[in-house]
Amino acid sequence: MTATLEYVRASRWYGPVIALNDVSTTVGPGVTGLLGPNGAGKSTFLKLAAGLLAPSQGEVRLLGRPAWGTPALYHHVGLCPETDAFWEGMTGLQLVTALLRLTGFDEAECGRRAEQALDSVALLEAKDRKVGGYSKGMRQRIKMAQALAHDPQVLLLDEPLSGMDPVNRRRVVDLVKRLGREGRTVLVSSHILYEVEAMTRRVLLIHNGRILAEGDVREIRDLMDEHPHTVSVRARDPRALARAVVGAPHLLSLTFGADGEWLTLQTAKPDEFYGHLHEAALEAGVLEMYSPDEDLASVFRYLVPR
Amino acid sequence: MNAAAAGPADAASDPGPGRDTTRPLPTVRAARAVFDLSLDAMVWSRRSLMMALLLALPVVLAIVYRAVLGRLPPRVAAFDFYGNIVTYYYLRFALPVTALFYATALVADEVDGKTLTYLITRPVRRSAILIGKFAAYVATTFALALPAIVVSFFLLATAGGWSGIGARVGDLFRDLGVMALALVAYGALFTLVGVLLRRPVIPGLLFVFVWELLANLPGYMPRLTLTAWLQSLIRHRPPQEGVTAIFGQVLPAALSLQVLTAATLLFLAASLWIFSRREYVIEE
Amino acid sequence: MPIYEQTYRRYEARAPLRKVRFWPITREALRLILARRWFLGLLALGWLPFLVRVIHIYVVTRFPEANRVLPVDGRLFGQFLSQQLVPVLFVTIFAGAGLVANDLRTGAVLVYLSRPLTRRDYVAGKLLVVLLLNLFLTLVPALLLYLIALALAPDQFLKWELAWIGPAIALYALVLSAVLGLLMLAVSSLSRSARVAGLGFFGLLMGLQTVHTILREAFDRPEAAVLSIATNIQSIGRALFGTAERTATVPWPWAALALVALGAGCLAVLRSRVRAVEIVT
Repeated sequence: MTATLEYVRASRWYGPVIALNDVSTTVGPGVTGLLGPNGAGKSTFLKLAAGLLAPSQGEVRLLGRPAWGTPALYHHVGLCPETDAFWEGMTGLQLVTALLRLTGFDEAECGRRAEQALDSVALLEAKDRKVGGYSKGMRQRIKMAQALAHDPQVLLLDEPLSGMDPVNRRRVVDLVKRLGREGRTVLVSSHILYEVEAMTRRVLLIHNGRILAEGDVREIRDLMDEHPHTVSVRARDPRALARAVVGAPHLLSLTFGADGEWLTLQTAKPDEFYGHLHEAALEAGVLEMYSPDEDLASVFRYLVPR
Repeated sequence: MNAAAAGPADAASDPGPGRDTTRPLPTVRAARAVFDLSLDAMVWSRRSLMMALLLALPVVLAIVYRAVLGRLPPRVAAFDFYGNIVTYYYLRFALPVTALFYATALVADEVDGKTLTYLITRPVRRSAILIGKFAAYVATTFALALPAIVVSFFLLATAGGWSGIGARVGDLFRDLGVMALALVAYGALFTLVGVLLRRPVIPGLLFVFVWELLANLPGYMPRLTLTAWLQSLIRHRPPQEGVTAIFGQVLPAALSLQVLTAATLLFLAASLWIFSRREYVIEE
Repeated sequence: MPIYEQTYRRYEARAPLRKVRFWPITREALRLILARRWFLGLLALGWLPFLVRVIHIYVVTRFPEANRVLPVDGRLFGQFLSQQLVPVLFVTIFAGAGLVANDLRTGAVLVYLSRPLTRRDYVAGKLLVVLLLNLFLTLVPALLLYLIALALAPDQFLKWELAWIGPAIALYALVLSAVLGLLMLAVSSLSRSARVAGLGFFGLLMGLQTVHTILREAFDRPEAAVLSIATNIQSIGRALFGTAERTATVPWPWAALALVALGAGCLAVLRSRVRAVEIVT
């Protein structure tokens, strides 16, 4: 994977407070979720990537050049900031057009691109209304529009779904996934896990200014030996299933559900266990099976101490 | 792992016709775009209405002067009254306050409004942003202040009739030039103050209403003020200035122009340098 | 069932327990302002004239001959309060410029008015912030000065004919503090930026003062003084304490009328600007 964004032992502090602590990582094309609790360092990580801050130590490189102090990079970068702030007296179209002019497009091209960007976030009908009169969801979408309008190669989105209704959330999630498939580098910062999960399986987990884990959610989960995997199975004859699997290696525990249909198993090696379970499944009449702790929320919960 | 070089954009992102994506926008073009963005917000705002009233107040004074002229004998002639307005009202009060009002806000407004992020994440040099905003400040303040001075002049210079007006028009152009220079010089100074300090208003007020009083002192002290250099460029000498009549200095006009120009350029250069290097952490 | 009919529902909340509903507004605003060290420094600087006056009274009581050069009588308190105009001005700007402006910018007015508070409560709470701080620089030191004068020179001040000094101090301090406080609040409500409000307030005061100076020089008419808010306030002080002015000034009934009109105007502005919802067209 070619790295678009590169952190090399990057640290950033504000006075005595270390916001980002000796971080080394790369982010390449596709969608990557940047996760962490409040105060973890996500905003600082994103601001360093966006060139809004200089690292106190180390390097942050975007498209091979230092992110800080290289204005030419912004031809290729679109930032959707978290703050809800605009020039309220401007219309949606005026705002996006004005910012496009600052990106070097001529007047005709500015108008065309602005309308295209507004259309992609379903704001075309409201383009001539003042931003001051927009709802929260519309304000969030206009932020997305100004980030996308100049067709950047890199998109940095800070809480992009905040304040959006379910319909527009879906729209933006689909848009982000499409941008990732096109080969753009999209870094999405959020603390709403199911939203990030809807967009990507590739995550970067931050806590206390350090990277806790990075990569595919499932791969991270598989590496977490100290947290056994839970598998819930519904079968016609759960006791027969239990008899068949109780001798399986790496089975740690087994619990019957109160309703008499469900069986909850815990194992240290899920892949091996699934193979063993497969053999017993037909005999016991397995109807349904899922793993409640292989999602992002579980990974997050296990990794981030309370 | 190889870092991707910032070369031509891939097929997913189209740079657009005639657009060089390897360099920032040319400064003039970028400044022009920022100028257009800022001018609208500056002109069509409630604060500009307030400033317009402040700057147009002498027009009301001039009307009042002419209205009561027949009933109350004034202590000063109409043209001298105009001179008082130019010296006391505009030069010592209204123009510095106008400059303080607008110039300290050039960056501070964007920071307080949290919109600075949009500007500094565009492919433009930061100096271009400040140049564009300063140009918008100059355009706005000129549009608000200079017409009011012209109207005041004609109301008062013609209070005794239109004869002799031709001889006075030269003074009008001189005054307009000095007022414009005052707006630019104070504007550059307060732009620097606004870029340097988080809370520039009180230091700015202290400068205008305390430091600039040094212009009334004897010796070398007045040369440390902008007021003394500006006052030396206008011809009006209000008749009753109290202690200023004893200590007031008139500095050479050519030297005043040079000093004011140099000071303006120095303040602007310092502002550009600081703004280009400063990190702005927008609180969320 | 969890689906409710969307009809009009009467507000049936209980009446608030406190009679003075706006006190929490004042308390929290004061807490925020007084947490700034430089503001405390500014308040401390505002008490310097008080120290100077204490020394003045002590010197005169110790060396009675000095009374000929630096007289100590009832007028001293009026002069002291008039001189406090400058520190009160700065404190008013610092403390008051953002009181309403910041709330308008952040939408906090909506939060306040969604409690059982009226707009009057909101304005009263905010006004009390500036009033208390200004009274701390006017009423408190002036009364303290009076007590010190009573203690150091009882022969001079402990007289029935000078009993008016106390009420005069209270009234003059209240007029000075309330007029500037109300004006600052009104200007603050006209903007969403504390900086613009502070500058606007200062510009208004200084602008009117400058206009007054120009008109006075041109026409030599004392009536021009009615334009100057500071001169009107000082006229009230002159009437209360009989202090002489170096320059001609407006008679106190006109000054009082001008200040009342100003106060009414400020209240009208606050009434129109302090709203829970702003319609953007």
